[in-house]
Amino acid sequence: MDVLLSEEEQMVKNLAREFLEAECTPALVREMELDELGYPPSLWQQMANLGWFGMALPETHEGQGLPLTYLGIILEEVGRAIAPVPFHSTMVAALTIVSDGSEEQKREVLPKVAAGELILTWAFTERNPKYLPETIHTEAKKDGGDYVITGAKLFVDNFNVAEKCLVVCRTSPESSSSKGISLFMVDTLSQGITHTPLVTIAKDKQSKVTFDQVRVPAANMIGELDQGWPIVENMLDRGTALLCAQMVGAARKDAELGIEYAKGRVAFGRPIGSFQSIQHMCADMTIWVDGGQMLTFEALWKMDQGLPASIEVSQAKSFCNEKCEAAVRSSQVIHGGIGFMMEFDLHLWFRRVSAWSMRMGTSFEHRARIAQMLIDQPGRVRLGMPLTPVA
Amino acid sequence: MDTAPREKIEMDFGYSPEQEALRDEVRQFIDDYVTDEVQDEIENWGEGGRGPLVRELYKIIAERKWVGITWPKEYGGQEGNRLDQYIVEEEFSRVGISVGGAGSGAPAILAAGTDEQKKEFLPGLLKGEITLALGFTEPQAGADLAGLQCRAVKDGDDFVINGQKMYTSSAHYASHIYLMARTDPDAPRHRGISIFLIPMDTPGITVRPLWTIQSDPRAPSKTTYGQQRTNETFFEDVRVPRSCMLGEENQGWYVGAMGLNLDRVGASRYLISVRRDEDIINYIKETEFDGDSPAQDPAVRDKLAELWIEAQVCRLMTMRSMSLVNRDVNFTYEGSAEKVWAPEHGVRTTETITQILGPYAQLLHGSDEAIEDGLFAHNVMGAFQSGINHGSVQVMRDQVARRGLGMPRG
Ligand SMILES: Cc1cc2nc3c(=O)[nH]c(=O)nc-3n(C[C@H](O)[C@H](O)[C@H](O)COP(=O)(O)OP(=O)(O)OC[C@H]3O[C@@H](n4cnc5c(N)ncnc54)[C@H](O)[C@@H]3O)c2cc1C
Repeated sequence: MDVLLSEEEQMVKNLAREFLEAECTPALVREMELDELGYPPSLWQQMANLGWFGMALPETHEGQGLPLTYLGIILEEVGRAIAPVPFHSTMVAALTIVSDGSEEQKREVLPKVAAGELILTWAFTERNPKYLPETIHTEAKKDGGDYVITGAKLFVDNFNVAEKCLVVCRTSPESSSSKGISLFMVDTLSQGITHTPLVTIAKDKQSKVTFDQVRVPAANMIGELDQGWPIVENMLDRGTALLCAQMVGAARKDAELGIEYAKGRVAFGRPIGSFQSIQHMCADMTIWVDGGQMLTFEALWKMDQGLPASIEVSQAKSFCNEKCEAAVRSSQVIHGGIGFMMEFDLHLWFRRVSAWSMRMGTSFEHRARIAQMLIDQPGRVRLGMPLTPVA
Repeated sequence: MDTAPREKIEMDFGYSPEQEALRDEVRQFIDDYVTDEVQDEIENWGEGGRGPLVRELYKIIAERKWVGITWPKEYGGQEGNRLDQYIVEEEFSRVGISVGGAGSGAPAILAAGTDEQKKEFLPGLLKGEITLALGFTEPQAGADLAGLQCRAVKDGDDFVINGQKMYTSSAHYASHIYLMARTDPDAPRHRGISIFLIPMDTPGITVRPLWTIQSDPRAPSKTTYGQQRTNETFFEDVRVPRSCMLGEENQGWYVGAMGLNLDRVGASRYLISVRRDEDIINYIKETEFDGDSPAQDPAVRDKLAELWIEAQVCRLMTMRSMSLVNRDVNFTYEGSAEKVWAPEHGVRTTETITQILGPYAQLLHGSDEAIEDGLFAHNVMGAFQSGINHGSVQVMRDQVARRGLGMPRG
């Protein structure tokens, strides 16, 4: 047990921070909010050259095989810099191919991801935004050697620039032996796909994507027919934990901006940072972000160890949703009116952390999942001991 | 294929196999030795301190080398890992036996004591033969401890002490008092204080009980701040030799702070803030009121999950502190942060429980219909104290802001 960063991790973190501070300025973030692609290809390529995309991929496929905590650290720094890059969605899909793809699929996808030559995304949510199998109505029907997909997905990250998308489809009605879900890797330029950009608080690139009789070869299925639900659950858990890392990084930076501002801003003849009520807000912001950070990295560590981590993921996301949001909102409060002005940079972080708190599971959803494991199974609970999942 | 384990290059949230084995060993010991009679004694041992059965047991625990694991070997320790001590403390705390902590006294003696003092105190503290009352607070100096007025005046080779200490909790059974007194009234506040280790039977010391709101009926032993009694201690021309002084003259503030910092973290601090989370969940899992179970109420479920998450943060903050201590890194703000989050969490849980159980949560120990022997009701009266003692949450937030974040003084 040593929950602090290792020397190697600290080094990776420092290098990432230095790089992003130089290369990813608030001006670039603003520019990308208005850009059609939404990301700067040159920055993307530099990140690939630094080895970030291959970090958590296996060495057998041009990756570095480092623990997932390293990717978490990078995403935390990417969050800190609110770097406008399709990193998170690419990793969520790539790691799913690592865990559940065929050898063929791995060979096709992973080396290109590591090299920065392939942007990926994933599509789960439909009309009902909960992360439950029964919300999936997009259908994939077998037709010869292909599957034909019809349906609509919402809130798909970076679809405008992704080359491939992992689409969660219904292949059978839910039954006692399976949830009837299968996962397909779909070329985003396939015939029958249309997408409409959504306008979000974060001014990032999310789309509504419709699939009208989209033909996909059966070889693009990830995992077995109808057995996709556990794969999808893992994908969502990983994605959620990595999103938490990004939130924590952004919320930390935002809190720091508030704390620094408080030291310099004078009111009633003294820095507002010398008022106890402001100091206590700053102390709380720090405590909250620390808490979110530790919950997040415990979840990532458990995943990396191959231990059950759903509870830890839900702990992290529920906490980050509320506490990272509270931290960035407090920072806005400390900034008074100026934080509300377009020309001042603070809102760049505020809007993103807020948006991320609404994605990949609300606090209520995650707590419902925890409550189920805490309350609905027999036996006594004890803090620090695993809760075994309810069937 | 050769499956050599990967070299450890990442943070680590798990216990080693040796530590898991240690935990199992302690649990087995508790199963074997903490009998119903021992438990009965713990539950019914009125005013504080240890009863005869627990005292006996404590000797065996010390023989097993489960106390002072991190201490130097020459004083009875093993120069072991702080986390091992934590594991032992956590298991024993759960059955109401406090080991290894010895309050803030032992760490300060280790850090600042002379060789004689270490030999005099540490082995005795280890075996439970020496116990220290903490004599810091005064009627006019609580959170603002540096305002203390109790005087120690040099007289030849002795010091003569006069003054009053408040809330000296274990003064009525402790062998010694770990006392903070003013030795230089003309120096700046923090620079005129010294620490003394004084036998309680020294002439001139009198102890008067102060009964808490938990005294009648008394609280179940697991209650957060369930203690029945504390004391006022009066010093009237108490003459002690200079050898009673711990650390340098007028350096007492810094010696004391060293111990207090460590006393703010660790197993017992952690557990007093989180055990009600476990208790209420385990309780409602098996409870229904006329067929209606709070466990099925969505509002209750959401709230309990939220509290459970908060409790994990308490655990992780404790682990962070342990990791820092193990690396020999001083806290900048981490101990203070923990001392804000955990007690306030304990209060949130305690007060949530009252709204889950409604009128049953009023019922005190011994009452007809009391739930868990009145534990939850007594906790309402005690939980908030944890946010006042050993550094109040307000003062702790000041420290996070000033020491951790470099914010200016008012
Ligand atoms: C059951 C019990 C056992 C105890 N055991 C011991 C013991 O064994 N030995 C010992 O020495 N002491 C002991 N104490 C004393 C305890 O440490 C003090 O109660 C504590 O330090 C607070 O001091 P006070 O009661 O004088 O409150 P005060 O210092 O008067 O504080 C009152 C309130 O003002 C707040 N406050 C103070 N300063 C500030 C500030 N700068 N900004 C904002 N708010 C502030 C405090 O947070 C608190 O809420 C015990 C207390 C209790 C209740």
